[in-house]
Amino acid sequence: MGVFENKFQDNVVVASLDKLLGWARSTSPWFFQFGLACCAIEMMATAASRHDLMRIGMIPRSSPRQADVMIVAGTVTLKMALRVKKLYEQMANPKYVISMGSCATSGGPYWQHGYHVLKGVDLVVPVDVYVPGCPPRPEALIEGLLKLQEKIQSERPLTRKTA
Amino acid sequence: MTDNLEQLIKEAVEKALEGDMDAINNIEDRVTRSKAKAALVKAKREAVKEKTEASLDDNSESVSDSKKDKTSNEHIAELLIQQFPDDINKELSSNEHIQIQPKNWLIISIYLRDDPGCLFDSLQCITGVDLGEESDLEVRYNLHSMTHRHAVEIRISCPRNKAKVPSVESIWRIGDWFERETYDMYGIEFEGHRDLKRILLPEDWEGWPLRKDYEVQETYHGIIVPKVKEGWE
Repeated sequence: MGVFENKFQDNVVVASLDKLLGWARSTSPWFFQFGLACCAIEMMATAASRHDLMRIGMIPRSSPRQADVMIVAGTVTLKMALRVKKLYEQMANPKYVISMGSCATSGGPYWQHGYHVLKGVDLVVPVDVYVPGCPPRPEALIEGLLKLQEKIQSERPLTRKTA
Repeated sequence: MTDNLEQLIKEAVEKALEGDMDAINNIEDRVTRSKAKAALVKAKREAVKEKTEASLDDNSESVSDSKKDKTSNEHIAELLIQQFPDDINKELSSNEHIQIQPKNWLIISIYLRDDPGCLFDSLQCITGVDLGEESDLEVRYNLHSMTHRHAVEIRISCPRNKAKVPSVESIWRIGDWFERETYDMYGIEFEGHRDLKRILLPEDWEGWPLRKDYEVQETYHGIIVPKVKEGWE
């Protein structure tokens, strides 16, 4: 810290730009408000006043253009899979996907005999966090969202990637 | 004195019930006259009540009589056999359903809806049935009449490779969606339907999912549909 040590007043914060961006992104991940099945009811309960998603900076948005996170809440049928994919493509970067519940994760109860169900939404869009449960309780969804926030925080968008 | 008055009122009411209102109107004392009129109203009300009770008893007796004799299915089957002797398959019918040849189904359905003895104003359900790979497909209609409060089940079977049944969408309007659903799941074509297309599955779907010989497609719009075979079997 040699160069900058004791140079600034109390109301100045010094941080790396990468970390600052990660902090800003992770604390306001607005999510895309759409539900496919019963998991959507739990998602609504999570967003409602008892569990109050807004306290961790999440606001439901009704347009994919304004959303950062897509919560795939419910059974994804093959008919719907094309729409989910289209909605994901309409979101602006950076974008994240949470697969909520066992249906979205693996087909759930339809994994064997559901001829019309997509066996996991990760066949169509890249998934960041899987939340297990049928349907997951609001606490479980919040846990998943906090995990996603950790992931966003740890990203270094400005650092050159050396592979 | 009071006995006399009561006697007077009673006689006046009896006359009034027979149609002679003057008997009451001619009573000179105003109080007695109004008492007589009140008694008349009461008497009339009781007469009506007795009448309705009697007619209700008649009705319930007649309903239970017809139920004792035969089920509504058998009753309707008799009517249909009288009207359409060639179209009813008597061997395959039972007292719970009526088996019909598909050829004249539209005419039979008009008869079922409009005949005063049937009056089936409500088509409650259309079900497709696949009885196995060796046998035919079947369509089942559940009809109900609000007027007669009776119900009937009609069954029509059709060959697997040429599944065609006349549409009753023009007879019962709800048949529109019922038939589209049956077409969606079993591939049974309803001839005469105005807009026969899939109702639940996407229009480019291949195959008829609820048939016994259905094979799940391998890809759908480039999405791989994995066939999970291990597990419960």
